[in-house]
Amino acid sequence: MPELRKDPILGRWIIIATERSKRPTDFVVETFKTRGGFCPLCPGNEKTTPKEVLAYGREPGQPADSTGWKLRVVPNKFPALIIEGELNKQAEGLYDRMNGIGAHEVVIESPGHEDRFTDLPHDQMLLVFQAFQNRIRDLSQDHRFRYVIIFKNYGRAAGASLEHSHSQLVALPILPRMVTSELEGSLSYFKYKDRCVFCDIICQELQQDIRLVCQNDSFVTLTPFAPRSPFEMWVLPKQHSSSYTDQDTQSLSALVDIFTESMRRLDTCIPNVPYNFVLHTQPLRSPLLEHYHWHFEIVPKLTSIAGFEWGSGFYINPMPPEDACRFLREAL
Amino acid sequence: MEKKRILLVDDEEGIQLLYREEFEDEGYAVTTAYNGKEALEKFQQDQPDLVILDINMPGLNGIEILRQMKEINPDLPVILSSAYQEYKQDFGTWASDDYIVKSANLDDLKAAVHKYLD
Repeated sequence: MPELRKDPILGRWIIIATERSKRPTDFVVETFKTRGGFCPLCPGNEKTTPKEVLAYGREPGQPADSTGWKLRVVPNKFPALIIEGELNKQAEGLYDRMNGIGAHEVVIESPGHEDRFTDLPHDQMLLVFQAFQNRIRDLSQDHRFRYVIIFKNYGRAAGASLEHSHSQLVALPILPRMVTSELEGSLSYFKYKDRCVFCDIICQELQQDIRLVCQNDSFVTLTPFAPRSPFEMWVLPKQHSSSYTDQDTQSLSALVDIFTESMRRLDTCIPNVPYNFVLHTQPLRSPLLEHYHWHFEIVPKLTSIAGFEWGSGFYINPMPPEDACRFLREAL
Repeated sequence: MEKKRILLVDDEEGIQLLYREEFEDEGYAVTTAYNGKEALEKFQQDQPDLVILDINMPGLNGIEILRQMKEINPDLPVILSSAYQEYKQDFGTWASDDYIVKSANLDDLKAAVHKYLD
């Protein structure tokens, strides 16, 4: 029988459709065809991108926007939001509007055109996670911005338009609804129980051991109780912290280890599965929060959002997270 | 003095007529192509000084044509001109030198053409 499950933080309901038990091989994944030809993100084409805002790996003395880098961050050439200008908030009757101020940047995760994020060596992936921190810190100094979303789209179904491995960040002058819902949901739980809901989830999942994919000394990866998608995974630090930018290099190194392991387990279950990952962290310039817990959410794109989902806000997931977890655990 | 040559690639005849008239009036020589195959042939044959390229076309779309043109001549200015903003989300557009959203007012397109040709 199908089952309704409620996310304990957001209060969002999902439907686990269990009539037919699925296996990883039941999911059809579109082959990711390499388009080839000119790639603006490749070394040698630095002049086709806007001027870089961050680069790692060049020899000292080498100029910006030259070759020899291991990672680059550049503004989006045709951004959804623009960085120049003042916020101009206006009301039009009951409606609100403001200028489209924001930053939209691209993190070029490796010079290698065909390198996959999942296969990056430890030190290279560490640079990616350090770049995320660096950019959040830098953008937090701009008081027009209230939040930075960091995300990756892999595969066409997940919204990627270019095969060169990259992730993106968007700095926003407002808090996105998803963030405020998560903050409010976790605060509500904290007021009731005086504990962080994420810490409680980690504690329970470690005890029950039915949705725990893998762990190391500092992090856990689990399939959440009410996932939107088959094989959805959350990567959370075991030690309570609301701020991703507060993590030191040792912590980021442990994050690389668990992220790599989690992604390889997923890739073994469903090779080349399209996915999105999103960093969830506290708003810019916020004091550390007792009720909130930074984490990554990895959401494979294996189901489509149609009328029912748009209309109800419910997601239909054809695979219970306990089954997904079992497949992920057996994968390596 | 020899006129600067613009290759205009668009599958809509009305756009071709409008742009051709405007840019010929401005003193440029304009050749046109209706699709990717014809565009790449004329690109090699006529050696234009600038290309104005639509994106949403049958067969090869503008982003694929752009990649091939930039492989052949990375320094040639190519302006993408599309009615759709959303193609900006495709990083393939980064190979272009400019992206102008189509409008009845050609001021932005003209300014971009002047920037590269004058």
